[in-house]
Amino acid sequence: MKKWYSIATIIVITVMMLGIAAAPRPAHAVEPIVIKVGYTTAMSGPAAAWGQTERLFFESFVEVFNKKGFKVGDQTYNFKMVVVDNKNSPEGGAAAAKQLVYGDKVKFIIGLWTWNFPSIAAVTNPAKVILMTRTGNEAVPGIYDPKKMPYVVFGNPSEEEFISDCLALVEAFPKYKKLGILECTLGKGPGWDYVLAALDKAGVRYHMEFFPPGTQDFTPYITRYAEAGCDIVFVAGWVGEAMAFAKQRWEMGYKDMKVGHTGPLITPLAYIGVCGKEAAQGLIAEYCAPWDFKKTKVKSKYIKMCREAMKMASEKQGRPYTYTGGIGWFPSHLLILAQAMEKAGTVDDTDAIMEAIRGGTFSTTAGTWTMSGAKTYGSPVVFGTPGALSTIKGDKEVYLAEYPMEPLP
Amino acid sequence: MPPAGIWIDGLIQSCIYMTMAFGMVLVFSILGILNWTHGQFYMLGAFVVYYAFTAVGIPFPIAMLISGVVVGGLGILVEKFIIERVNVPSAQGALYVTVATMALIFFFEGAASMLFGMQEKGLAMVFPGVLDLGSFSVSYQKIAVVAFTLVIMIAMYIMLNRTKVGLAIRAAAQEPDAAGLYGISVKRISLLVMGIGCALAAMAGSIMAPVYAVNPFIGRIPMIMSLLAIIIGGLGSLTGAIVGGIILGFVNSVVAYRLSYFSEVVLFAFVIIILLVRPQGLFGDPLK
Repeated sequence: MKKWYSIATIIVITVMMLGIAAAPRPAHAVEPIVIKVGYTTAMSGPAAAWGQTERLFFESFVEVFNKKGFKVGDQTYNFKMVVVDNKNSPEGGAAAAKQLVYGDKVKFIIGLWTWNFPSIAAVTNPAKVILMTRTGNEAVPGIYDPKKMPYVVFGNPSEEEFISDCLALVEAFPKYKKLGILECTLGKGPGWDYVLAALDKAGVRYHMEFFPPGTQDFTPYITRYAEAGCDIVFVAGWVGEAMAFAKQRWEMGYKDMKVGHTGPLITPLAYIGVCGKEAAQGLIAEYCAPWDFKKTKVKSKYIKMCREAMKMASEKQGRPYTYTGGIGWFPSHLLILAQAMEKAGTVDDTDAIMEAIRGGTFSTTAGTWTMSGAKTYGSPVVFGTPGALSTIKGDKEVYLAEYPMEPLP
Repeated sequence: MPPAGIWIDGLIQSCIYMTMAFGMVLVFSILGILNWTHGQFYMLGAFVVYYAFTAVGIPFPIAMLISGVVVGGLGILVEKFIIERVNVPSAQGALYVTVATMALIFFFEGAASMLFGMQEKGLAMVFPGVLDLGSFSVSYQKIAVVAFTLVIMIAMYIMLNRTKVGLAIRAAAQEPDAAGLYGISVKRISLLVMGIGCALAAMAGSIMAPVYAVNPFIGRIPMIMSLLAIIIGGLGSLTGAIVGGIILGFVNSVVAYRLSYFSEVVLFAFVIIILLVRPQGLFGDPLK
């Protein structure tokens, strides 16, 4: 009897062990695969204030994005931002692109807003690296040849955004006399012909001036604007110069002359510190806060992500992070890239990803955009931030007006 | 005729170029070098006064003096440990000094960027308000610039003409060998003059800090302008530095009002014409 008990016990144990061995394995959490994304910007030199300020938010946004990541098939992916200074110069741009492409082995460089697109594209394009960048004087219709740069994606078109800003200004101040436009001679180029033609077409009254780089004394220019009858002066970029202009026009007695600039406020307190509280009141800037947009629709989940990233950035820097300027750039580009990868079903075949971008519809932190394909600078791009403006009231930044970015042909 | 605001602006510009150029010429007359870092001492002066005023709470006039002392001291260190060592007694000496002081431009700008950050800083709260003069108004900050320049120029005049140190500086500038024979240490005078020159640049930056914004790159244009003022006035002439600064300030303001951004072209053309017609400048000694 004992013998049969032993045999039965052995059989039961064997069956149990076989059962355990054959049972499905407990699901292990699959680690997301990390994809490196290059970000090159001005981290040194006169434009570095923007580069340094934005970096904090972008890194925070990537952290927020990575909480869920995105999926291609069953695999979850995360992004890792690789930052390289390009000094906002052509040679710096080329060096940064080489570092990212050949050193860090990135296949995507996004969020580019500095003025060195040609030198960066010259490195990324032959390497089949996708570059998402702004437009500018380097990339106006007729100059940029899309056939030579199939891996360049133009977003945030500088000229169109400036035009939208001007139209938003006119909407905010319908009784304006004349709009003054101020730009540095460094920004002179064919892009301005395009902008001014559009303003002419829209019936905007304007007077334009250029100033030499390094100008701190704007008294002669303020006098010229006053004599030309301008009651609003809008500075193309150039935060320090806009601050100096606002301060000096106040001191000269032109207190009714409104002053603004493209590019968002870094923080209202910086303007108050330079201009003085009275002179800073009413100062206008771009405002890329999707939670306040009235005419541009942004998905609530992206608004939530932006706010979470701003909160995170505030905690990192130990004081409130209020700069909204980056929201329509790197995060938009990141979302387009992730969605294009999902559509293409690949994270490393840049030809397939470009194919998905062309003609695709993408939801971003600056609205939803359908890439028209062939005619936008020859690039499949029609996205950008709206011409939304804010103004300084007390020591706060408040919404002023908005002119949506219209899809380009 | 340009409006009154433009002439006032010209006066303010003149004051700043004059102070900067005076310091540069003083250094040149003793050390025989052009200190290309002069603009960065201007920038550092603005930062010192900014932090002394905002972070430590030191009253602005005292903060200005501190800025002069701190940056003047830094200038002495630069002279002692860099310029003196590279200024070898050969034809290459001046070239080495030029290269060294040019390198210091980027060193100081980079260091300031890392230490103080890139964002514009301002001292608009110092001397706030404007004086309304009917058709135009002038800020109290700009009036302070004019008053400061007058005080500095008078102080420099007294120091150079009424004190033993001033006598020693003038002697060392005119005849360094003979001055040495009379017991004047030209080496010490060189250090002192470098300190004074840099302190002048720093205090010019300090007084301009409330007028403009402060960032690590604000020294470049004042440096170029003071160099032009020296060329106009005559290299080595203190009177020339003052007159050159005045001319340049007014020309710059009036031409910019008339011709907008072409003003720079006109200014540089003007300086080239002076170099062609009177290479020694208005008050310089004839070239041998």
